[in-house]
Amino acid sequence: MTTFGFLLKSMFRRKLLVTLSMLSLTTAFLLFILLRSVAVLFSGVVADVSDVRMQTSSKYAIIFLLPHRYGEEIASVDGVLDVTHASWFGGAFKEGDDSAMTFAVDPTTYFEVYDDYLISSEHLSAFVELRTAAVAPEAIMERYDLEVGQKVPVTSPIFPTSNGEPWTFDLVGTYRSKNESEADFLPFLFHFEYLKEAAGVSDVGWYTFTIDDPEQSAEIAQIIDSKFENTSDATKTMTESQAFRDFFAQMGDISLMMNGIIGAVFFTMLLLTANTMIHSYRQRIPDLAVLKTLGFSNAKVARFMLIESLLFCTTSAAVGIGFATLALHGIGPFLPSGFVLTVTGPTLIWGAFIAVGLGLVIGLVPAISASRLVIVNALHTR
Amino acid sequence: MALVNLESVWKSYKKGRDRVEVLNDISFRVNSRDFVALMGPSGSGKTTMLNLIGGLDRPTSGVVTVNDLELSSLSSGKLARWRSESIGFVFQFYNLLPVLSARQNVELPLLLTKLGRRQRRKNAELALDIVGLSDRARHTPARLSGGQQQRVAIARAIVADPKILVCDEPTGDLDRTTAIEILRLLQILNQDHDKTIIMVTHDPKAAEFAKRTMLLDKGKLVSRLLQPDIEAEVEV
Repeated sequence: MTTFGFLLKSMFRRKLLVTLSMLSLTTAFLLFILLRSVAVLFSGVVADVSDVRMQTSSKYAIIFLLPHRYGEEIASVDGVLDVTHASWFGGAFKEGDDSAMTFAVDPTTYFEVYDDYLISSEHLSAFVELRTAAVAPEAIMERYDLEVGQKVPVTSPIFPTSNGEPWTFDLVGTYRSKNESEADFLPFLFHFEYLKEAAGVSDVGWYTFTIDDPEQSAEIAQIIDSKFENTSDATKTMTESQAFRDFFAQMGDISLMMNGIIGAVFFTMLLLTANTMIHSYRQRIPDLAVLKTLGFSNAKVARFMLIESLLFCTTSAAVGIGFATLALHGIGPFLPSGFVLTVTGPTLIWGAFIAVGLGLVIGLVPAISASRLVIVNALHTR
Repeated sequence: MALVNLESVWKSYKKGRDRVEVLNDISFRVNSRDFVALMGPSGSGKTTMLNLIGGLDRPTSGVVTVNDLELSSLSSGKLARWRSESIGFVFQFYNLLPVLSARQNVELPLLLTKLGRRQRRKNAELALDIVGLSDRARHTPARLSGGQQQRVAIARAIVADPKILVCDEPTGDLDRTTAIEILRLLQILNQDHDKTIIMVTHDPKAAEFAKRTMLLDKGKLVSRLLQPDIEAEVEV
């Protein structure tokens, strides 16, 4: 028998109680990983978004379109470099599937403004030249099993065709972003001109443009918005990172919600697990007294209680994280396009930190009590 | 030279606002390889005296010396180490850990030594062999009779080879036949293995197995009796 073996046996003295408590804690860690993965997904995208790119959209909501002429007026503002536009198409690639990010864009200017998007010159030329052409990011290609050269049928609840058939695009190329975290948020792109002709749409969803000095972004935004202030199509201009934040904020403050839920879960678990440990400690007072009688010092028995508590929490955490990783892998195919949840390094570090912290906190009271146990009194409690 | 020496030992406890005197000015000696029975009515201070000798408690005043070491001078950590090396404990209710097998219970004190895993196991098996329980090594306490559990407790007490065994009512929870077996085992440990044994008991029959008996009453040592075959009594 080793000391570790002895600790394990002591920990599982009440097998059912300990197993159930560990299952509760495992579930808490499973939830923690799942929720953190969602929060990390959103915050990661916002962090990598450029600050030299700005976006002008309707002041009231992104669903309201802006006149086509706004593009020239934005381009005339000092400090503005390249301007492009995009319109939300809301395309679905399979029947019954959720809408994937599909934008109608100006192919000649879009990749100039989004110069962090990497596309081969061959694919870009093909995209510019063919009116029905489209390019897809690697994530969408993979998700819908698409190949360059094929025709892609796409339905849109916003712009349905007159005969009810899907739109058909010629997939002429693929592209990706330099920022890995953006990989799952890149849109399927097709010609705005095709949308304009087929659906009679002349207005655009929003304008995106680059500026020469990020320090001037607030001033430029103010100039652009004041140009259109007293019109029926008033605008709201901001940096792209701010636009992303606003977009996600429409779904609520995700980080705050996630952290709130995680906090509540762990607070409950702290109380439940502490209760289990204290209950376990009380039941073992005579055993601890025997250990002390045999010569185990106060420090040693305190250490036993702490190690046991740490073992309890870290094992639960490891199992919870393992299950969460499997769960994230399993639910991946059922998530909407652009949502890929993974367990990141910092999330694992946080998980380990919480497990160790929880173990120390809930083991502290039993450890102190065990070290202060008076042998002659405790022996009589059996 | 006395192995255990108590000089003018007083012990009192606080009970609410009152102070209860448990031992009043006790002085006595136990020589090496002695087998002493401590007798007396309930509350006479027998177990308290045993606890002081075993280093489980400290006197209010007076000196407890074991093997020339004054126990009061030791810190709690040093006292714990001294217990692990010098004293074996046997209790009335065995005090075995229910989650461990007989062998693991015996092996427990050896976790405090520098012995390797195999040597610990070997020593534990040897101790179980001495008490005649080799064939029950893998049984947990719940699967052992009272007498067998007490044998395991004795094996645990001797496994680290201490000089002194302190036994608190070791036969108090056993039937007469089993009690005699346990007492004979203690006698063998005393005579053949040179263990010094100090045993608290209510039972005069059990005390007969000791070389001498001390009587305590109301915290005072009232007499020292030599066993019938020695036929002597010394008034204190």
